[in-house]
Amino acid sequence: MISLVWLIPAFPLAAFLVNGLFGRRFLGHLTGLIATVAVGLSALLSIGVFVEVLGGKTQTVVVLYKWIAVGDFSINVSALIDPLSSVMLLVVTVVSFLIFVYSNGYMEHDAGFYRFFTWLSLFVFAMLILVMADNYLLMFVGWEGVGLCSYLLIGFWFERPEPYYAAKKAFVMNRIGDWGYTIGIITIFLVFGSMNFLDVFKRLEESAPAQATLTLICIALFFGATGKSAQLPLYSWLPDAMEGPTPVSALIHAATMVTSGVYLVARSMPLFEVAGPSLQVVGVVGAITAIFAATIALVQFDIKRVMAYSTVSQLGYMFLALGVGAPVAAIFHLATHAFFKALLFLGSGSVIHGLGGEQDMRKMGGLRRKMPVTFWTMLIAGGALAALPPLAGFWSKDEILGAAFANGHLVLYTVGIVTAILTAFYVTRALWMTFYGEPRDHHIYDHAHESPRVMTLPLIALAAGSAVLGIVIGFPPEQGFIHRYLAPVVEAAGVAEHAPELATIVVLAVVSVLAGVIGIAIGVSMYLRHRPDPAALTRAAGPVYRVLVNKYYIDELYDHRFVEAARAFAGASWAFDIHIIDGLANRLGWAFAMGGQGLRRVQTGIVGNYALTIVAGLLLMLVAYGGYATGILGR
Amino acid sequence: MTVPLGAYIAVSAVLFFTGCAGVLVRRNAVVILMCVELMLNAANLALVAFSRKYGSIDERGSVFVVFVFVIAAAEVAVGLGIILSAYRNRPVVDVDEIHQMKG
Amino acid sequence: MTFDFVEPVVFALLSIGVIAGGVAVVMLNRITAAALLMAFTFLCMAGMFVLLGAETIAAFQVLIYVGAITVLILYGVMFTKFSDGPRALFFQKQTPIAAVFVAAVAVPIVIVGTVSFTSAPPRPGGGDLPALATSVFTDFAFPFEIASVLLLAAMVGAIVLTRRDDPEEAAMRRRR
Repeated sequence: MISLVWLIPAFPLAAFLVNGLFGRRFLGHLTGLIATVAVGLSALLSIGVFVEVLGGKTQTVVVLYKWIAVGDFSINVSALIDPLSSVMLLVVTVVSFLIFVYSNGYMEHDAGFYRFFTWLSLFVFAMLILVMADNYLLMFVGWEGVGLCSYLLIGFWFERPEPYYAAKKAFVMNRIGDWGYTIGIITIFLVFGSMNFLDVFKRLEESAPAQATLTLICIALFFGATGKSAQLPLYSWLPDAMEGPTPVSALIHAATMVTSGVYLVARSMPLFEVAGPSLQVVGVVGAITAIFAATIALVQFDIKRVMAYSTVSQLGYMFLALGVGAPVAAIFHLATHAFFKALLFLGSGSVIHGLGGEQDMRKMGGLRRKMPVTFWTMLIAGGALAALPPLAGFWSKDEILGAAFANGHLVLYTVGIVTAILTAFYVTRALWMTFYGEPRDHHIYDHAHESPRVMTLPLIALAAGSAVLGIVIGFPPEQGFIHRYLAPVVEAAGVAEHAPELATIVVLAVVSVLAGVIGIAIGVSMYLRHRPDPAALTRAAGPVYRVLVNKYYIDELYDHRFVEAARAFAGASWAFDIHIIDGLANRLGWAFAMGGQGLRRVQTGIVGNYALTIVAGLLLMLVAYGGYATGILGR
Repeated sequence: MTVPLGAYIAVSAVLFFTGCAGVLVRRNAVVILMCVELMLNAANLALVAFSRKYGSIDERGSVFVVFVFVIAAAEVAVGLGIILSAYRNRPVVDVDEIHQMKG
Repeated sequence: MTFDFVEPVVFALLSIGVIAGGVAVVMLNRITAAALLMAFTFLCMAGMFVLLGAETIAAFQVLIYVGAITVLILYGVMFTKFSDGPRALFFQKQTPIAAVFVAAVAVPIVIVGTVSFTSAPPRPGGGDLPALATSVFTDFAFPFEIASVLLLAAMVGAIVLTRRDDPEEAAMRRRR
């Protein structure tokens, strides 16, 4: 099965090619089926690979062909299949498959149906390359590929200006992050002479380079990760990316692509472990992002934006986990988050679909009777996000907080707990505003309808995953299946896992459940009993509220500081180009034109002149011959 | 008393440059063609003279004269063809009137 | 009495004929006369070939130059109308500089050629035909065949160039 691992990305690639080449003319709505089947086959193969890794093949390198070979330097197109990548393969393909199924319903009436499935297939292909790559360079190929697809899909409805701007923003911010990634891999190559994960880690053990160099590598890589995974300071593209179709938000901007930064850091854990303060940086940035995004999510009214900030916040949790030295918890949370956040997005999409495109929660309300399936599945997902036991989010988030506590990062732990309260609050608020209370816009309410089966079935499947995934692979805490499965990778990375004692675990779990319950309680009290009344609170909070609604004015700050500086620089470059570069070229062309004008006169068109020229040449030859013969011109 | 080789070469060279001067100064295309023939003939004389002097066993120089004949015949045929077809377009044979190649 | 003096005398007469004919071709205004004088030059040249002992070449010279090429040139003269006025025959601008150039090239070559070869060429009996034929049909057989292809090409080319396209006939061919 592992030797067939190349088929996993090959199926989406084939779907991409078929849909892209023939989709518009011949296939029409068949493109959705083709893409879905292709990803389904990939998912089946991924399950097979997962099982095989479980059976003991903990590290396999499958070489497809030699890509670059220059002297000692060689890069293969090859896959590294170990527990880490097989978990990622499984998560990516399974969630993708469910979202593909859902998209068949969601995008049914869209004119760009075939285009949607073409780009989505390409995205899955690139994501799988990213996950399977056994070296930093091939990973970068996938990394750029998902960035490109993200750009194309955010701007899917490019007829309107907002998606187009959002796509551009996402692309530019990702490029800024990629700059860090590039610095990272170039430095890795210079230091280790290889870009292969296993070679780099082996050489790291044999002779560790200077701390400063390693720190530079890790910070650069992490900077790349902040771009892709929407962490501070490069997070602000992700909320805007919600302009894309909802399945795209679910797949790319919640479940898979944005987690590739987490995967990158987890993959490079051996480097981070020994690279001085870089892990602390990761943890602190993650924690700040988590609480920062959660506070913004408190006051948003666009249902998808709430989810987007929630995603940023949860990604912050994952980096926090990596930072406190608990990569397993990070990957665990990545997996559960992929399920429940995809579900939240798809549920939001189902609501939006049912309401004919309305995204503002102030116009919703009371929808639980109209859309029961969507309501119940989203309730499960919301519970998972709020970390209520026994839902999936509880187990993974609890492990993150437990690891933070056990490894002595009390500040980060506290931030995590506060964020957990905020998380529980905003998810309660979102679900309440959407599904409970009285319908606030009767016109919309009357036309609301439950989504078709093709959309609700994936919701149910994801809900099942969100409900039981945590307890299945994460119980008992710190010794669950996921720990045993990922153990070879973690041991290789040399991460010291501090398993807390049982009593500590229980106490910590109770604390995090309490955090969730408090958040929910505040939410329910505010929105059911109006105690305190949300509107009054808004007025009381005044400036704080305004800052939150305006997202801390970060966009304005970036516009002011960076975008305008970049504009000025671009203007200067333009002037330089027009006056100096083009001027040079034009002057040169002018000089040649003048020379040509002069030389034109030589071409008289009269045959006699040409014949005379021949005789003149003969004369020259005679002079030369005479010169050589007599020795005047030398020998 | 015999004629030295140099005399033949001198006659050949004088005839050659007479033809050459004709090519350069005459305007009538047919006359230019005649002058070219004179030049070719001058070259023939030199070839035959050298052939007698240095290659009398296999007459290699004279073989080239045969080829020059062939080329001269072909050249006259094609040259006259060109002159005639040009003349048909514009009834002039003065080569300086035909200057479409002027840059 | 020896007749050694005959050869230089004949050579002198022939060379006067050749050079005077050539100069006349270049200088004469009347083109028909120029063409006939060119034939005279070719005839004198044939005599020189005989003097050199190249009888076969001389025969070819008479056949091809004096016969074929002169006739062709005469046809060319007949088919074209030449411009009148004596000075109009020459390039006004180019003549002096051309004279200088040609003289500059010609004088050294004539002098060097004359003084370099003072001995007389040997004169074996029996003519040049056997040796010439042997060379043409052994070592030079292939170029000889190529030359025939060249002649064919020239013939076709001359026909194509001079063929008058009848407009009516061309139009009929297009309609068909």
